[in-house]
Amino acid sequence: MLVGLLLLGGGALAGAFGALLGLGGGILIVPLLTLGFGLPLREAAGVSLISVIVTSSAAAGVYLERHVVNLRLGMTLELFTATGAFIGGSIAFLLDDRVLSVLFGALLLYSAVTMARAKTEVGLEEGITPDTDDETDTHVRPPAATDPDRLSGPDYRVRNLPLGLVGSTFAGIVSALFGIGGGIVKVPLMHLAMGVPLRVATATSNMMIGITATASAVIYLTRGGIDPYVAGPTAIGVFLGATAGSRLAHRVDGRYLRLLFVAVLLYTASQMLLRGLG
Amino acid sequence: MSGASPTSRTSTAERFSGRLLISFTYVAIALLVIGVVLMLANGISPLEATPIFDLATLRSSVLALDPAAFLWLGLLAVIAAPIGRVIVAGVAYAADADWLMVGISIAILLVIAIGIGAAVAGTV
Repeated sequence: MLVGLLLLGGGALAGAFGALLGLGGGILIVPLLTLGFGLPLREAAGVSLISVIVTSSAAAGVYLERHVVNLRLGMTLELFTATGAFIGGSIAFLLDDRVLSVLFGALLLYSAVTMARAKTEVGLEEGITPDTDDETDTHVRPPAATDPDRLSGPDYRVRNLPLGLVGSTFAGIVSALFGIGGGIVKVPLMHLAMGVPLRVATATSNMMIGITATASAVIYLTRGGIDPYVAGPTAIGVFLGATAGSRLAHRVDGRYLRLLFVAVLLYTASQMLLRGLG
Repeated sequence: MSGASPTSRTSTAERFSGRLLISFTYVAIALLVIGVVLMLANGISPLEATPIFDLATLRSSVLALDPAAFLWLGLLAVIAAPIGRVIVAGVAYAADADWLMVGISIAILLVIAIGIGAAVAGTV
């Protein structure tokens, strides 16, 4: 019983922490399960994928209702993230757990550096239920279906589509290998390289996570890589934590939280690297 | 629906997809909560051996209040949500005669189906 409650609590902490910082919980769930509960990284990634789908579905549902998502662009890129996730899901079962740990440690280091350099401009990320009191999203007009450039919105033009397709495939591979949403790749890709406004990029990335993670989760599930006894309490915890975190986000000083998060990421990165290399 | 413009139909599809995702999420969470409560009530540790997923016995296991069955159902509901969203969007695009997007919707579903098929066949 204690382990179940610890998974629930740990998932809630990971979800809340992620939501407060504008990240999905995936990047914290995998270290929690591997370092905290001794699960193999592959199994932790499978559980994390489920948690990521739950939280991103809840958030994407709200974004879709508010018409913040660029559905046409998102679905086009989704085809490539899903393909990448299929490739990543296949590779994940070929790689040694220690190799995965080292790669995940490197990803955490990259995330720590990105987070340390991030400005307050960064908005909501994947896997977070948006605060329903915040009506600012409704000011973003939906992309027009009759736009000559079919993937662009009324206020912006999508550029570098080939780069976006390649980057999306990469995001899918990363997502499947490490059980994360992949927003850390997709949001900068859409915003900086493709010219999509940050809020639209964030919402669209959030929606894409569902299919991206599903494409690899079905492989994990079919191959027995997801333990329901672990996934159940963890997913519930992450969902509750992310929901609470998104509602508290406006009341918490993000600067100190960000510093704390960078420290946590650096510590977990070192532990993952030691786990892989030790 | 027949008198609606393509833009309003797509907009309706977005709203419907959004509601579908939210509804599926709550159903999934409810099933997972039932599963976890049963798991804790039966004194099952999450770190025990992983139960086998067997679609054929899922119904009888649910009726027998097997915790793993509710958890499996919850996990299936989690995975079904984004797939349902793609199907809804594909249908909306078909109503708009936007065949490129219909093709993309089908291709996404195919990739997922290939993933399942390959995993079942043991080729991945």
